[in-house]
Amino acid sequence: MNSKHRIVSIMLRGGVLAFAWALSAGSPAAAADAAPPPPAAAVAATQLEAAPAAAAPAGDQAPAEFKTLDQEVQGMKKDVIDLNKDLFVLQEELLFPANTQVAVYVSMDVGAFFALDSVTLKIDNKEVKNYLYTAREAEALLKGGVQELYLGNLKVGKHELVAFFTGKGPVERDYKRGATITFDKGVGAKYLELKITDRVTKHQPEFKIKDWE
Amino acid sequence: MTIGVTVQRAIHRLRPLVLSGLLLALPFAPSIGKNVKPDPDGLPPHDVKDLRYGDVLFYFFQDDFFDSITRLLAAQQLDRLPNTQGEAELLLGGLYLSLGEHVEAGNIFEKLLNANATEAVRNKAWFYLGKVWYQRGYLQESEHALRQVSDKIQPRISAERYMLLAQLMLRENRYDDAIAALSAWHGPPDWTAYAQFNLGVALVRKGRLPDAIPHLDQVGRMDTSNEELLALKDKANLALGFALLQAQRAADARPILERVRLEGPYSSKALLGVGWADSALGEFKRALVPWLALRKRNLLDSAVLESYLTVPYAYNQLGASGQAAEFYNSAIDSFDAEMKRIDDSIAQIRSGNLLDRLLNDDKKATLTWYWQLKTLPDAPESRYLYQLIASNEFQEGLKNYRELNFMSRNLDSWRNDLSAFDDMLDTRQQAYNERVPKADAVIAATDLDALIKKRVDFESRINEIEQSNDVAALGTVEEQQNWARLKHIEDYLAMHPDDPDLAEMRDRLRLLKGVMYWRLSESFKARLWNERRSVKELEASLVETQKRAVLVKQARQDMPSNTGGFASRVTAVRQRMDQLQQRLAALSERQNRFLQALAIRELEAQKRRIEVYQIQARYELAAIYDKATQAKPKAHP
Repeated sequence: MNSKHRIVSIMLRGGVLAFAWALSAGSPAAAADAAPPPPAAAVAATQLEAAPAAAAPAGDQAPAEFKTLDQEVQGMKKDVIDLNKDLFVLQEELLFPANTQVAVYVSMDVGAFFALDSVTLKIDNKEVKNYLYTAREAEALLKGGVQELYLGNLKVGKHELVAFFTGKGPVERDYKRGATITFDKGVGAKYLELKITDRVTKHQPEFKIKDWE
Repeated sequence: MTIGVTVQRAIHRLRPLVLSGLLLALPFAPSIGKNVKPDPDGLPPHDVKDLRYGDVLFYFFQDDFFDSITRLLAAQQLDRLPNTQGEAELLLGGLYLSLGEHVEAGNIFEKLLNANATEAVRNKAWFYLGKVWYQRGYLQESEHALRQVSDKIQPRISAERYMLLAQLMLRENRYDDAIAALSAWHGPPDWTAYAQFNLGVALVRKGRLPDAIPHLDQVGRMDTSNEELLALKDKANLALGFALLQAQRAADARPILERVRLEGPYSSKALLGVGWADSALGEFKRALVPWLALRKRNLLDSAVLESYLTVPYAYNQLGASGQAAEFYNSAIDSFDAEMKRIDDSIAQIRSGNLLDRLLNDDKKATLTWYWQLKTLPDAPESRYLYQLIASNEFQEGLKNYRELNFMSRNLDSWRNDLSAFDDMLDTRQQAYNERVPKADAVIAATDLDALIKKRVDFESRINEIEQSNDVAALGTVEEQQNWARLKHIEDYLAMHPDDPDLAEMRDRLRLLKGVMYWRLSESFKARLWNERRSVKELEASLVETQKRAVLVKQARQDMPSNTGGFASRVTAVRQRMDQLQQRLAALSERQNRFLQALAIRELEAQKRRIEVYQIQARYELAAIYDKATQAKPKAHP
């Protein structure tokens, strides 16, 4: 083999390498597949057709091993999620038994006239929560999420809840409003929803407290 | 050396997809804020139907899928989703998908979607499932899912679906299938270039270069300022250029390769190709221009590596054997140094903490399947790992490793809580022990039955008064005293019926008694009503007291078993936690070893490639010396 011949063979290998890179399939949302084939596969390739677009990273065993591990991780994750669920339920039942449980939620509908900054919650004239919202949380509320603002315990009987909302009202002005409710705590869990809605006719936000029976 | 190269892959665009899209397609979607672009398949906002479902969404919308799924499963178990069961199940499938739990998600979707989901929901669910499976390399499952999607879907999703199917076929070397699928493909304009490119690739792979040329050429000539499309354009020109070079059509290849941008990611390969085109045309001097430019670039690039040989090759062809020998010598030195660096890096990786260093700067708080490593740490071995971290298997494996770490931290955090639960249960037990005697004393001192009997007697008495119309019985104390006095006088008068001196008294008694009776009768009904109301209040109080007494007795009885029940639950979850953490540690170690082996194989492959070039350089150098030695006697003028 003369030197030119040898160089050309390198060129071909290099060419195939580069070509394999170039030939990786791609799409606007799946260019992850456009990763170049690894050198091991490319160097071994001597035929154009032999250069796979997304070859295994190192040998044929890799995908099989990857899949085995992947499936084990999947199983593990499922078990951890299940355990988390059981722990979550245990925690709630232990700390907030149904006969004393009171949960206060915050929801926002539309939100054109109010951008929420914080909520202060008082139950029976005692402050139980003062929560400052991140932009991400406020956005989650706007999208339809409902925040469990407070979870606590109360004795059976009459109680008063007062919520103060602060934020930006219409025309970006500082806005602070309150809402109050007197509710009966029975032997079952009590759920209250602080609802922030838009009153379109008045171009003002509206703050209500709903007692979920 | 600072290494901060960003590994950009378009998968980021998948980020908002998994469930946002699917969720909005739900026929019973939650309220959607005004600033959230509604999905055409979705419905307008409405009231919250289940607070707990809204709570799940609150975390979901913050991409906190782990908390979201935990809360969803807990809400299901506690039966707190009476009005949102259907969407909750679909969301659960989507959340599993978002967490990369594609098997579980697949099971839920198959169960759910074959039943009563709308076509829009079914299409989106299958599509996203197919996409995640494709990403994870489960090609058969992916194809199965993607084929479940009907054509009645948004054009963009439809286009992406067909593209994924075509790519899947390419990955499985099913070129005829891919060619057939892509030839019949019609989609949005921005997808056309990708389809054409893939079609060109499939045709080249099938050995149909003449058919491939128009497609790749068209992509290579497109007019665009979009960075992604510019990269695709470069890629198409590079692919076509090299395909032409392979087909011995160097003259045709050259202008095509020259279309690749000099500053783009494919420029090194293009420079190499242009040099080879010139070389194939016998233009060695011209070939030196791109190759010398290439030689100044990073040696990690295989094209640059190759230029270390092509430059002296061209000099040699031009008869400049001295310069050729110089460049070969320099190449050998560079290759030696590079191989030494690779050996050091392999040793470093073998030391075992590559993955932890890779994940050092990672934000660990979230868990999503679309996570990927974006930057490499500032370490000597990092420079060799760019290609590796661009590979799907490595990224997915790293993601798994990261998830295992996340889970381990999650369990650690619960372990602290469990200790707090233990303390709490101890405190409760202590408080119970202190309160029980007091409660027992109160219970013992309260004769509820006697109280109930008193109430019954009282009610009977009221009934008697009513039936006998005993108006005086409900009078005030003074009235009753006066009434008794009158009765007393009346009795006296009755004993002396014939005494004329008492005649006046009899008249007065009749008058007073009449007035008194009239007054008592007038207020009798109101008084009777009041008494009955008192009886009712008494009854209500007694019922409440009875209820509380039952609760106290129940609590007294239940408390030990409740506390014990909680204690055994805590013990049971702690055991599960211990087992899981052991499995986690073992799996994490295996994942670590697997990825470490991938990294080492990658480096060794790079080293082998350099070794091939090294041998080549030495051989060429020897040949030059050989030739020079043979030519020496008659060389000098």
